[in-house]
Amino acid sequence: MILEAKDLNYYYQDGEQRRYILKDTSISFEKGKFYTILGQSGSGKTTLLSLLSALDSPHSGEVLFNGDDIKKIGYEKYRRNNVGIIFQSYNLIPTFTAVENVLVPMSITENEIPEDTKTVAYNLLDYIGIVKNKADRLVNRLSGGEQQRVAIARALATNVELILADEPTGNLDEEMEQEIIEIFKKLAHEHGKCVIVVTHSNEIALQSDQAFRLRKGVLTSYE
Amino acid sequence: MNFIKRGFLGITRKKGKSLILLAVIFILGNLISGAISIQQATGNVESTIKERLGTAATIDIDYDEWDAMSESELESLEMEEISVDLIKQIGELSYVKYYDYSMSTWLGSESVESYHDEESDVDYIVEGPSTDFRLKGINYAPVIDFEEGKAELADGRVFTDDEIEKGTSVAIISQKLADENNLNVGDTFTLANDVYTYDEETGEDDIVNSRDVVLEIIGLFEPSEAKKETDENSDSGMMILTDDMDYHNTVYVPNEIVIDETQFNWEEYLKADEELAEMMEGEDESFEYYEPIYYLNNPEDIEAFTEEVKPLLPELYSVISASDQYDNIAGPIESMSKLAKYVLIVAVIATVLITGLVVLLFLRDRKRELGIYLSLGEKRSRVVGQILIEVMVVAVIGITLSLFSGNLLAQQVSDTMMKADDNQDEYFEEYYYEGINTDLTAEDVMDSYEVTLNSSYVLGFYGVGLVTILISTIIPLIYIVRLNPKKILM
Ligand SMILES: Nc1ncnc2c1ncn2[C@@H]1O[C@H](COP(=O)(O)OP(=O)(O)OP(=O)(O)O)[C@@H](O)[C@H]1O
Ligand SMILES: [Mg+2]
Repeated sequence: MILEAKDLNYYYQDGEQRRYILKDTSISFEKGKFYTILGQSGSGKTTLLSLLSALDSPHSGEVLFNGDDIKKIGYEKYRRNNVGIIFQSYNLIPTFTAVENVLVPMSITENEIPEDTKTVAYNLLDYIGIVKNKADRLVNRLSGGEQQRVAIARALATNVELILADEPTGNLDEEMEQEIIEIFKKLAHEHGKCVIVVTHSNEIALQSDQAFRLRKGVLTSYE
Repeated sequence: MNFIKRGFLGITRKKGKSLILLAVIFILGNLISGAISIQQATGNVESTIKERLGTAATIDIDYDEWDAMSESELESLEMEEISVDLIKQIGELSYVKYYDYSMSTWLGSESVESYHDEESDVDYIVEGPSTDFRLKGINYAPVIDFEEGKAELADGRVFTDDEIEKGTSVAIISQKLADENNLNVGDTFTLANDVYTYDEETGEDDIVNSRDVVLEIIGLFEPSEAKKETDENSDSGMMILTDDMDYHNTVYVPNEIVIDETQFNWEEYLKADEELAEMMEGEDESFEYYEPIYYLNNPEDIEAFTEEVKPLLPELYSVISASDQYDNIAGPIESMSKLAKYVLIVAVIATVLITGLVVLLFLRDRKRELGIYLSLGEKRSRVVGQILIEVMVVAVIGITLSLFSGNLLAQQVSDTMMKADDNQDEYFEEYYYEGINTDLTAEDVMDSYEVTLNSSYVLGFYGVGLVTILISTIIPLIYIVRLNPKKILM
């Protein structure tokens, strides 16, 4: 069990009332598997992912990474060393080249990474499908699919075992979507990572090892 | 790609933004550096001029206040004299290095020729009795004029405390006067204390009594070089010439001798003039009148000294010091200094606000980038560090550029202001106080004003400039600390 959420509660205060987005939500994930969390728009998928990635904290409940409460690890430190996050809108630094974007987390993390970070970054990009001459381009001169690949490379750069992605293919066409899904499968099955993707697409859910459905604050298994 | 490298990339990758920031800091930096340049120059003027003016102070009636009084006020006024005790009491204050209070009297002589300048072979046609020699009474045995470098002892010695106390008949005369009369240390010479009355019918002075004053020369003095030099350069050569001649004909003696001679003269005069004697009867009119002179340890002490002395003085009296003269002359410098101070304050505030706002605007544009660093687990302190590097590197360049241009600007501005001030003639009403007034002119003040690029200016400006920029980044940095990466990115 690499990641475990226990009795998460998250709500917005609506006047006097609390509007629960997540209610006593528990879920657990293993290494080497590709998970999807399916839900309609507004169902709380991003909220759940923000709690799992320590970009936000629940009102109650806890998230355990390898059995340790991430609050105890420290949210910042957990993000720095234990998790790679991929966003729907890529969130790359536009004034940097692709390879520079990949180098950023490598200088932040405390994980052990090879000394020749530049070579590692180029290799990583190449593996994800960004060749050298594209790797040296400013990222806003790359296509959406290419940018999302750079974002995946960035998430992998710190050598983490846990990858969290929020609608990673939301802005891409079907062909590109499939290529990204293939990368995720490979990461889970060949490299033993735990990949958790949040999406509203059934297609993706069907290709995952295990899918969950989020509805009215409650998670259920989805077949 | 650590935060330091990111900071430098932030500057080079967004050149337009960096140039705007540079321009803003450069322009505001010019104001700050110009103001500091002028402030330092005026500060230097004040200290050099005050140094030159020396530390002398005296006590006298405040004639400005006197003039401002109405007639009825003047009538009801009971003027008090400054007592010797008060003079001594003030002299004991810790600010005072040494002090003296003395009387002067003018005596003539039949046996001694007064000194005349060779060049001005003018025969002075003096109406009435000759009183060529000024007897200057001394209470401070080493003679303050020598201590202060107005003159130096060329031969012999100064007074002893014993001579001062007993009023021994000894004198220090000028080298020139001694040469003129073939006198030397150890010789004696004779002055005449003549008592005259004015005969209204003939319009002539009649000698009614006379007595000889025999003095032994114990020392010879020579007016100091510095004084002579400035005299020669002066426009008002003639005026200074007579001044100088007076000085050569000055005879330093223990003050008791001056008291004695004045008393003799006064009493004999009253004997001859019965009318006046009747008038004076019953009045406790003292013939003793002292003009004290204090030399302080430090030019900066004058203010504190004045503060402390003022309450001790009788009504209408005030402390008159060399720095009063500075205040008169240095009007334009003072107003420039004030202006520079205001400009500095305004410029610093403007810099904090404008730079702060510019940086904040730039940061808002980069909200997403900053959020990304935070989402990757970067410490907020390092994100702050990155922004500080970006701002401070540009600021150091901008400040360094304005260091020179602002200084240059200050030179131009003050040159123009000085020229404008030169045109308006200023007239100061002044009273003469021996030992205090110097031949300092407004021009001297202007001449000692100089905008320079010295190390204290450079350090001062870098200090003020960088601290100002640092303060101006506080608001933007608070902005960073409050950023919420989830809201920005998800
Ligand atoms: N600041 C907020 N205040 C109040 N309600 C909010 C706030 N932010 C989000 N919500 C609500 O919380 C719910 C969950 O939002 P969340 O972003 O997790 O949904 P989502 O499943 O990711 O939707 P989508 O598929 O559109 O991205 C939504 O109904 C949304 O309206
Ligand atoms: Mg969402």
